Amino acid sequence: MRDVIVIGAGGCGPVAAKELAGRGLDVLVLEGGPRHAHPRRQWSLLENDAWNPSTGYLRAGPADRSKPAWFRELPQNSFLWQVAGVGGTTLQYFGNSPRAFPGVFDGYDGADRDNYDGAHRFPFGYRELVPYYEWVEATLPVQTAAMGTKEAVYFRGCETLGIPVQTAKTTTGPSYRPQENAILQPGGQAGRTTDRAKLTYPVSTGCTFCGHCVQGCMQPVKAPRNLTAKRSTDNSYVPMALTADAWSAGGRAVTLITDATVTKINTGRVGGRLSATGVAWRDNRTGQTHCEDARVVVMAGGATENPRLWFNSGLPNPNDWVGRGYTDHYLDWVVGLFDENTGNSKGANSSARCDFPGYGSLENVGWGPALQAVVMNASDSGIRNHYTNGRGLTGSWDGPTGRLVGAELKDALLHGVDRMLNVLCLTDDDVQPDNRVTLSGLPADANGPVPRVRFNQRGRSARSMRNREFIADRAAALLRGAGATRVYRIDLPPVLLHVHSTMRMGLSANDSVLDADAESRAVARLFVADNSALPNSLGGPNPTLTSQALATRTAEKIFQRYFGGDPWVRSDAPVVSTDHRISRRLVELGL
Amino acid sequence: MSSAQSDRRTFLARLGVLGAVAGTSLVVPAPASAAVLGPPPGQRALDELARRILDELTRDTFHAVGAFVVPGTDAYSRAQGTPRTEPGAIQARTPAYLIDFFDNYVPVPDELIRGICAALADGFADVPIQLPSGLPVLVPGVLEALDDAVRLVLRGPTALPLSLVIALLLNLIATLVNPASTHGTFVSPFARLSAGEKAVVVSLLEGPDLPPVAAIDAALPEPLRGSVSGLVRFLAGSMLELGAFGTYSEWSTFDERTRSVRGRPIGWDISRFDPGVLDGWHDFIGYYQGRKEVSA
Repeated sequence: MRDVIVIGAGGCGPVAAKELAGRGLDVLVLEGGPRHAHPRRQWSLLENDAWNPSTGYLRAGPADRSKPAWFRELPQNSFLWQVAGVGGTTLQYFGNSPRAFPGVFDGYDGADRDNYDGAHRFPFGYRELVPYYEWVEATLPVQTAAMGTKEAVYFRGCETLGIPVQTAKTTTGPSYRPQENAILQPGGQAGRTTDRAKLTYPVSTGCTFCGHCVQGCMQPVKAPRNLTAKRSTDNSYVPMALTADAWSAGGRAVTLITDATVTKINTGRVGGRLSATGVAWRDNRTGQTHCEDARVVVMAGGATENPRLWFNSGLPNPNDWVGRGYTDHYLDWVVGLFDENTGNSKGANSSARCDFPGYGSLENVGWGPALQAVVMNASDSGIRNHYTNGRGLTGSWDGPTGRLVGAELKDALLHGVDRMLNVLCLTDDDVQPDNRVTLSGLPADANGPVPRVRFNQRGRSARSMRNREFIADRAAALLRGAGATRVYRIDLPPVLLHVHSTMRMGLSANDSVLDADAESRAVARLFVADNSALPNSLGGPNPTLTSQALATRTAEKIFQRYFGGDPWVRSDAPVVSTDHRISRRLVELGL
Repeated sequence: MSSAQSDRRTFLARLGVLGAVAGTSLVVPAPASAAVLGPPPGQRALDELARRILDELTRDTFHAVGAFVVPGTDAYSRAQGTPRTEPGAIQARTPAYLIDFFDNYVPVPDELIRGICAALADGFADVPIQLPSGLPVLVPGVLEALDDAVRLVLRGPTALPLSLVIALLLNLIATLVNPASTHGTFVSPFARLSAGEKAVVVSLLEGPDLPPVAAIDAALPEPLRGSVSGLVRFLAGSMLELGAFGTYSEWSTFDERTRSVRGRPIGWDISRFDPGVLDGWHDFIGYYQGRKEVSA
């Protein structure tokens, strides 16, 4: 019997695994996708090779790319941006690591307290989470982002908005700032050369400004895995979990099995309570099914897969909130065309942001031509100049919202991908019960019935819609202030890449799945340690850091509640994931 | 011509099959075709013929899709009224990219595909429209046999390739938007539309009230209700988004063996994209206001 089984090696499962392994527990991590053990041999950094949703190396599917991706039912115009594999969606994330707005926590009494999703706050106060934020920020580590051309253009726009620069971790009001990113700052020749010989570790360290965060980070060339610039969990927490005995006295390295999909959580009576007792998992290569027992099970498969596994396991759902309350930041996209170089395709993909507590956030995004084209082509407002799908919103941008298709899209790209600047709008969106995951009625795959993700894009709450309009207007103003000659607002359909709150923790047992310690209310010894455990959408800030902080706190709760241990975050000093002991052990292990 | 024959003719015309008969070298239009096929044509030969026609229809329809998403110097772009002096999706082989994507990698369950095909075979295509003159006239016997063969393929136990299903939907709606599109250059009615008319087709696929699809959905029990119309909307969006993604990506010149490009992709030329050495750029300016770290 294992001490703990962690389901999923994405953005947060490895965090809980690393913390518990550091305490000496026997931890098994099961991951449905592959481990990219040798990115230099497996990745090209090219857009279709990485991002083709069916065949790309960052898809949601089995390790064998000749086999189809996994079907997920999306009964609307939408896109579910899942990545299977060690690192999960942190393989493609930008490393953005802002903290949640204090206004989304219990006990917040700021003057703007009524401006948030007050019915779905965190079941504890902001101060409770701060030590865990600090622990994760030191472990990853999180650092102030370096600036490239596109940031200089973005900040020029910010300076016209009449809001101050934020110079602290906690956001207390409308402001702009460089991102706090889980990306190592450039050192040596990094960011200062295009000579490949000099882009090699240790002549270069940290971010080399390659422009491909979203295609997976493997910079600089020949850097030890745990010194790779972007701190996706495959470069940070997973190496720590696999080498826990090297950096923690009494630590015990985790066992990681990939291409292994958990198909059922097993339960039984423990101390008179219905409790998790282990899992059944399927080897995706052989089709063989295995069972493994554990004292505690931690779900970390993501906001879509966790509800699926819950339903497929036949676990109780007494208040019917499993899978409900899906939040996604109700994303939107605003693009400016410039008559100057913006450096759109260079540098870390997002290194600057604005925050508007009570409304949401903005951030710059830069990337290559294919992703640029697709994001300008994806809208809920129909095709510009042809039809509006009942929308076609107008405002401080040029013309109506909508897809750019055909000649209009081509003309925009002919202007030059490096003469564009993108602003991503992250809306503070409300928890709404009908945005949810259920099981699809369509045939099951080899791992059981598949999830169906339903979003009622036209049925968003009035507050969510107000917030989105506010921040889209600010995005357009920013771009005009920066000197854009033309501004397009796209009106994205649901693009599910910031996914939260489908297994939400909450103050009330009536509308939450988890208690304040992230343990299931219905099944003891069963915890959730990823974005799905978040009680709300954080007010708009990117979720990974908060989910990782929460996963750290959850690991501590597990250790205290079921293993008789003491908490450590307030008393110990964290080991940084770039520690040389980790590098050395990885080499010894051939990892 | 009897009423039944007229219905069958309308059905084939709206799918694009009648046009394909005239527009391809696969068969010779009647009455000569009757001699080629030989009465009575064997069912197997007709099934094969129907499949070949449908393959050609798919290829032609996706060329029209590609030109719609990224017009270029090709005939499809000229025909839709958006000629360009730079290459576009067709030169980037995006039609093949889309067909490959939909057929080999989009894991749509067969049940959903069969649902759409049933709609195509059982009524959607039978909605009468005024056919233009000039369509090939198939002799009695051949018309019925080809009609039966196509319906058999649509209702058959093997789900059709997703690309074909999308092509048939596009063509059917194309003939609704402009009945004259049943006849002319190209094989596919969708290819005969102007860019504006193509946009109307997409708007119907994206919209809430595409009658036959809505009818299928209404008849489905929960939790399947909404699945077919949801899929149609998803496919309509995917067709445009993937068409853009494929064209502007490296796909057309990608070498899987070396994991690099053999030459400069068209999309990189259009967008003036410089990949550099891929591993780094000289673009580090410094830190905003000189601040390398923030306070707690």
